[in-house]
Amino acid sequence: MSDTTDKAGSAENRVDPKLLEILVCPVTKGTLEYDRDNQELISREAGLAYPIRDGIPIMLPDEARKLDDA
Amino acid sequence: MTKNSSTTGSGMSGDSPTTRFGFTSVPERERQTRVNQVFAKVARRYDLMNDLMSGGLHRLWKNELVAWLNPPRGVESYTLLDVAGGTGDIARRFLAASGEGGRCIICDISGEMLQAGKDRIKAGNANRIRYLQANAEFLPLAANSVDAYTIGFGIRNVTHIDHALSEAYRVLRPGGRFLCLEFSEVQVPMLDSLYDRYSFTAIPAIGAVVTGDAPSYRYLVESIRNFPDQDTFAEMTVAAGFERVSYRNLTGGIAAIHSGWKI
Repeated sequence: MSDTTDKAGSAENRVDPKLLEILVCPVTKGTLEYDRDNQELISREAGLAYPIRDGIPIMLPDEARKLDDA
Repeated sequence: MTKNSSTTGSGMSGDSPTTRFGFTSVPERERQTRVNQVFAKVARRYDLMNDLMSGGLHRLWKNELVAWLNPPRGVESYTLLDVAGGTGDIARRFLAASGEGGRCIICDISGEMLQAGKDRIKAGNANRIRYLQANAEFLPLAANSVDAYTIGFGIRNVTHIDHALSEAYRVLRPGGRFLCLEFSEVQVPMLDSLYDRYSFTAIPAIGAVVTGDAPSYRYLVESIRNFPDQDTFAEMTVAAGFERVSYRNLTGGIAAIHSGWKI
């Protein structure tokens, strides 16, 4: 019966694998690396790490972390 | 030098291009930010706003959109990308109309809109919906990855409509369907002046009373007037590569649904 109230990484907050399969970098259209621990999608080519919040990939360059100044 | 505003020239600094924000000209880079601010403010009241602007008709128009899409009712996999779909209005109708294999990716540039929609999706449908925060001009999806693309009352808020159309074309698989529902040019003489008066005076006034935010509503009304008419938008759809392009007027052209196929 315990539905939510799980720690981060609960089923609800995970990105669907089917969606991950078709996700690309919005800037380069290149492939992304899924960093499960940090909940980020990394585009090496663009030098950006897109955050995933509550299971929702935030695929906006303005919201992404720059890899250089990590 | 010249005042050519319609082309895509992207000036770096100095003479940065301007674009329309409602009836006000703003620097192009600022427009998306300001549009986002409007939606962040009105997200919780967005349905009400649509009811005001359409006299409640947007519900019927969205039914019409999904009816025209006519998704498969079987178990075969069929993925709809609903862009600017934050409220979940189209997603809910799509899931009700499609079979077990129907999946919907709701994409919106506004996190507030996504959250507003997520709160209203029935638990039974939750596992058939995925969420994505992204810009319609820069979709984060692989080419040929979805079966259908819909955008309802969203494309007029995009800075470069032609970019959004190209992106729609790119992500659709061959044989995929594009459908766009948007306020359009009223085709009935009496109705157009009536609707004009209603939308420019009544809507911002009601918006101010209900949300205390008249400027956001004024933007939304003005953005409707700046949007290309039916034939112009159909031409833009063709220019993006779509074939068998057609449109249907709804309620005398207050809104229209445009359809195209990626062959």
